[in-house]
Amino acid sequence: MGETKNEYRLLFPLLPFLAIVPYLALQGENSSTDFAWMIVVAPFIAFPIILISGQVYNKNETWKNTFKEGGILGLAALLVSLSTTIWIVYDYLIGSADINNNDVTSWLEWISFDILQSDYTMAQNRVLGVGVWVDSLTLMLLFVATFLCFLICWFAIGYMTTDPINEDSNHRFFAEFVLFSLGMFGMVLADNFLWLFIFWEVMGLCSYLLIGFYYWKESAAYAAKKAFLTTRVGDVFLMVGLLILYDIYGSLDFAVVFDDPSTGVGGALVDSGELFWALMMLFIGAVGKSAQFPLHVWLPDAMEGPTPVSALIHAATMVNAGLYLVARLMPFVDVHHHGVSGLEDFGLIVAWIGGITAFMAASIAFVQNDIKKVLAYSTMSQLAYIFTGLGSALYFLNINEYYAGYFVLGASLFHLFNHAMAKGMLFMASGSVIHEVHHAHDHLHHGSDHGHHDFDPQDMRNMGGLASKLPVTATAMMFGSMSIIGIPLIGGFWSKEGIIAKTWSAYFHGETLMLGPALLILATAGMTGFYMSRMWFMTFAGEPKSEVVDHVHESTPWIKEPLIILTIITAVGGFVLAVLGVVDFLSNKSVNLSLHGKPLLDQIIYELEHAFLPEDQKLRIVGWITIFLSFIVGPIMASRVHGGRLKEGEKANLFVGWLVNLSGKFGKQDVSWLAESQLSEALDKRLYFDDLYEGVLARTLIPFADFTAWFDRNIIDGIIKQIESKSVLGSFEIRKFTTGSAGDYILMATVGALCIFVLLMGVSF
Amino acid sequence: MNLPINTSEAELVIPELIMLFGLIAIILIPNLGNASFRIPLTRIHVPVFIGGSRFKSTSNPKLPNQVSLIIFISALFFGLMQNSYGPIGNTLEVTEFSRLFSLIFIAALLLATIATTHRLPARPNVKPPNDGDSENISTKKINALIDNRRQVDFHIILIMVGLGMSLMSMATHLFMLFVCIELASLSSYILVAFHKESKVGGEAGMKYFIVGSVASAVGIYGMSLLYLWSGDLSLDALAIKWAESSSIDPLAGIAVGLMLVAFGFKVGAAPFHLAAPDAYSGASSPIAGLLATASKAMGFVALMRILVSVTMPIEGEAFWYTAIAIIAVVTMTWGNLAALTSSNPKRMLAYSSVSHAGYMLAGLAAIGSGLGSEEAIQLVLTAIVFHLAVLVIFKFGAFLVLSLLETEERGHRLEDLHGLARREPLVAGSMFLFMLSLAGVPPLSGFLSKFLMINGIVNISAGTGASDATSILDWLISVEPVFWLAFAIVINSALSMFYYLRIGLVMFFEEPEDSRAMKDAFSLRLAIVACAILTVILGIGPLSDSLLEMVADAINSFVSN
Repeated sequence: MGETKNEYRLLFPLLPFLAIVPYLALQGENSSTDFAWMIVVAPFIAFPIILISGQVYNKNETWKNTFKEGGILGLAALLVSLSTTIWIVYDYLIGSADINNNDVTSWLEWISFDILQSDYTMAQNRVLGVGVWVDSLTLMLLFVATFLCFLICWFAIGYMTTDPINEDSNHRFFAEFVLFSLGMFGMVLADNFLWLFIFWEVMGLCSYLLIGFYYWKESAAYAAKKAFLTTRVGDVFLMVGLLILYDIYGSLDFAVVFDDPSTGVGGALVDSGELFWALMMLFIGAVGKSAQFPLHVWLPDAMEGPTPVSALIHAATMVNAGLYLVARLMPFVDVHHHGVSGLEDFGLIVAWIGGITAFMAASIAFVQNDIKKVLAYSTMSQLAYIFTGLGSALYFLNINEYYAGYFVLGASLFHLFNHAMAKGMLFMASGSVIHEVHHAHDHLHHGSDHGHHDFDPQDMRNMGGLASKLPVTATAMMFGSMSIIGIPLIGGFWSKEGIIAKTWSAYFHGETLMLGPALLILATAGMTGFYMSRMWFMTFAGEPKSEVVDHVHESTPWIKEPLIILTIITAVGGFVLAVLGVVDFLSNKSVNLSLHGKPLLDQIIYELEHAFLPEDQKLRIVGWITIFLSFIVGPIMASRVHGGRLKEGEKANLFVGWLVNLSGKFGKQDVSWLAESQLSEALDKRLYFDDLYEGVLARTLIPFADFTAWFDRNIIDGIIKQIESKSVLGSFEIRKFTTGSAGDYILMATVGALCIFVLLMGVSF
Repeated sequence: MNLPINTSEAELVIPELIMLFGLIAIILIPNLGNASFRIPLTRIHVPVFIGGSRFKSTSNPKLPNQVSLIIFISALFFGLMQNSYGPIGNTLEVTEFSRLFSLIFIAALLLATIATTHRLPARPNVKPPNDGDSENISTKKINALIDNRRQVDFHIILIMVGLGMSLMSMATHLFMLFVCIELASLSSYILVAFHKESKVGGEAGMKYFIVGSVASAVGIYGMSLLYLWSGDLSLDALAIKWAESSSIDPLAGIAVGLMLVAFGFKVGAAPFHLAAPDAYSGASSPIAGLLATASKAMGFVALMRILVSVTMPIEGEAFWYTAIAIIAVVTMTWGNLAALTSSNPKRMLAYSSVSHAGYMLAGLAAIGSGLGSEEAIQLVLTAIVFHLAVLVIFKFGAFLVLSLLETEERGHRLEDLHGLARREPLVAGSMFLFMLSLAGVPPLSGFLSKFLMINGIVNISAGTGASDATSILDWLISVEPVFWLAFAIVINSALSMFYYLRIGLVMFFEEPEDSRAMKDAFSLRLAIVACAILTVILGIGPLSDSLLEMVADAINSFVSN
């Protein structure tokens, strides 16, 4: 593989796929949502093609170099998905489609049948089919998912195909990747809770396959199993939740359920107690998928997968699925629009789970040295922010404070967007760092075994001073970290402020139980500032901590482009969208993205005023404390521990160089005493959650599993075997009639004829 | 000039006319040569073209096969294009129903023709054996020459089967119906025994002929009784007469019973099916496929004509309801049980087709229960016809795979399928799809047809369950027994999974006896893959909808008659 070869010519086969959507759009006959099925069908077609051709042409040179072992095909399919999504989003933005009405298009009705209901009457014509449900929530998630999947696939072409360990199995990666994308797109588009669940499970399967991509590594196989089983716990609850919902509403179609959530099947008034349990069960499913306390244990281990996979699972798709599900539940509690009142507790629980996870994950991230693990815990923590925000939204909507509710809902979803973009980029950037460090290490120790086994390219203690070696990566990671920290004016700042402020305002509103989550996420803001800065400084600033660093350079094709695109979006996207009023747009208040008729400058000033000087005096204090903690306290403390100037003669670009040199100005602080403390030990062991779970499982579930295994082997299998052996016996008996002699056959036919006569006579004559 | 058929009528039967003229063409074309006739007393030679030494093109032994392919493809095409309907003479009527069945028959024959290209190969360049050839080689050469010689015979008979079946679906007169059935049946007996040099083929054909002719004799005796009773054998007249009579005349009852025997043999219902497994395993695979799909469909058309059009009372239970219901359950159970331990894939498929006949008879029985509304009855009829239509795709597909195996003298043992996935992944994958579809696994077309059937039967019966039942057990006790037909289908489907999946198991997980790739039979492979694709897209998606619509139209025309 030529290291710096320009490979853009490989993109030419994508051009026809790029042309599909413009062609359909210019036809002008159909609305964009009529083609929403293409988003799911394109990866669905690509999946078997990649898998089968990969098996057949594995060693083929053209397949390897021109098709990148299926990567180009995957990219083509995802391009179709992405361009269709952009078409749909465009239609909504220019207002040719109506954001007020949820657009439901049914694109496949398979079979219809009657069912016997629980009251022993027959219900007519239940249709089995798939439809598409489009509202602003769908649009946002869909855009995030398609866009990131496309970029990650692009990145993966560079990352996966240049790694010799992946020899001959990349087609498996790309096939599973597109299947995974399919799961996410389908889940977001589904117009029915059941289909949502089915695609949710497709994702679960693919996450298992992708985390265990290096299945020959014991740790990877273990991590895959752990991720699958942990999320499975949530899924079981989710399924129970769906059953309760079906019991209440007699249907799982969004159109039926959300039409009037306060009346159930047959016009009966919905009991808030029953609905509460349904929502709780669904929430537990979301907790499992989004790795929240107490089902968070799988996510750090999931880093065993290849880096693009981690990026994909953590930023773009799977973890967002849980958030999407909770956001979907808003109509149930929105008392302003036929919601069911008396569900404040549900909102509180969601907010508490979010607050606890945010704080816990941030504190564990303090002591992680593996660059991907820091990001994993950061993801947990940021998702927890969004859950807290959604919790507040649920609370506000349920007490009919719908303006505040919509605002924090919009802010939470906006944070989802910002976080997805920033975190996707951070994972890719970390992948770039790992990849280049690994290459440099291989280069350095070419042909010798020296130090090969104990060198970990993901360990930040082997890095340091990379700012000048990896300029693009360093810049990207800087903006990503800034967005996650919430540095004013950049990306995540706009949304995080909203979440924190509204959670506090729920407390000020008189709900004392909201104080907990509010305090926790406020503290987490400062901690985020510390651990993200720590990661960046450890990697890019200060003295190089190993000899490998000198040999690192950015060279692999396909890796830079997505980083640059996402850097731009992270840096300015938050601000632009905030000015355009994305918060109102996302909370489904029938507002399009626009300047609301004001001049641009006025709108910018309005947003800035609103962010920094909210009218409420108390909220202003909260806002400034947040900024102070995350912007000043966290980064400065981190730079005192890990910062350091550039070496003499080293060059880095403007931002990065300035930041690195700045970090050197705060002096040095030795914290080794802290690193040896009990607390640090506990954090390093992830607060003993894994040990606890394993201990409990070994005592309870394993004996039970032994028993069920015995039951299955002896009782169930025994019955089956009996049926089988009896059937086989019967088969031998009955085949004795087939003697091979025509006379016997005629005799049997005669007997049969006589039987017919007897039967006919008996009935009628 | 007074033609027996005018042009507007001829337009209705273009596919049949194509087959008729094709039949003549296939006799004439291979005999074209440079023969000439000298006008007496002169020296003028008038070329007459028939006879003499044949031209190079007409002496090509591949020609009959090619002509036959063209005939069936064009017949299929014109059949699909056709949208005008009407009576022809007094005994035939083209309706949507008859057109759909013509298409089913022609499609099956087309597949048989494609498979025959490789199953009964014509080799243009074979020379007679020389003195120097070893015995083995000279036997091979002689066999090849024989194969070349009998190409025409095979295809003539094949087209005759098509003609008989196609006309049969249009018949509105019982006598016409019977004549057409016999035309098709006698031809198919010959086809079963066509490989007369193999002992098993001749024996199977003979047995099939004996049992079949006994069944036909019984049926025609029943028909004569019916004629005695009514004096007119046209279906309309019979239906009117039947509706008029307040109670069932024993004469008519016995007549219908006798005809049930004849048609029961055709569809392979127990206990008249016993010759079928022998016939299938003795015949070559394309012919076995033909028997399992087209021949069975023919039997069901006849049964539907007799049972639903003629003897079905307007309200209340039909007098044959119990008999058909019992035959249905016995047939499906018998077929499935016997298939369980069959080690010959062709026998297995034969028994599987017996059990499928059982499923469809269960549908007929549900109609006979007289409980269903108009729509429910149409639903069940749709299910039966849809099943017969898609059966051509996946059952014949399975026989096509066996044909491919037979080109290398395999396909009679389960071991021949061992490790097929390693030798021929595409063929084995298709075969697995066919098996899954036969078993009724969603979303394949086999599932859709079975689902429609069960849905129809439940639809007819479930309304009779007590709506004030307090438990599912109460409800099950209160429901009419016809509900249990659906239950029997479900149980039998579960049982059948065993032997269908075993095929998949041995194909994917056993070691092949011979790891070379198989003969490069392009058109046969193409047909197999096409069948596999159709198996999927006729189960889900727009094409399945349009086929269902076509079937629903056919059923409409059938019921309204």
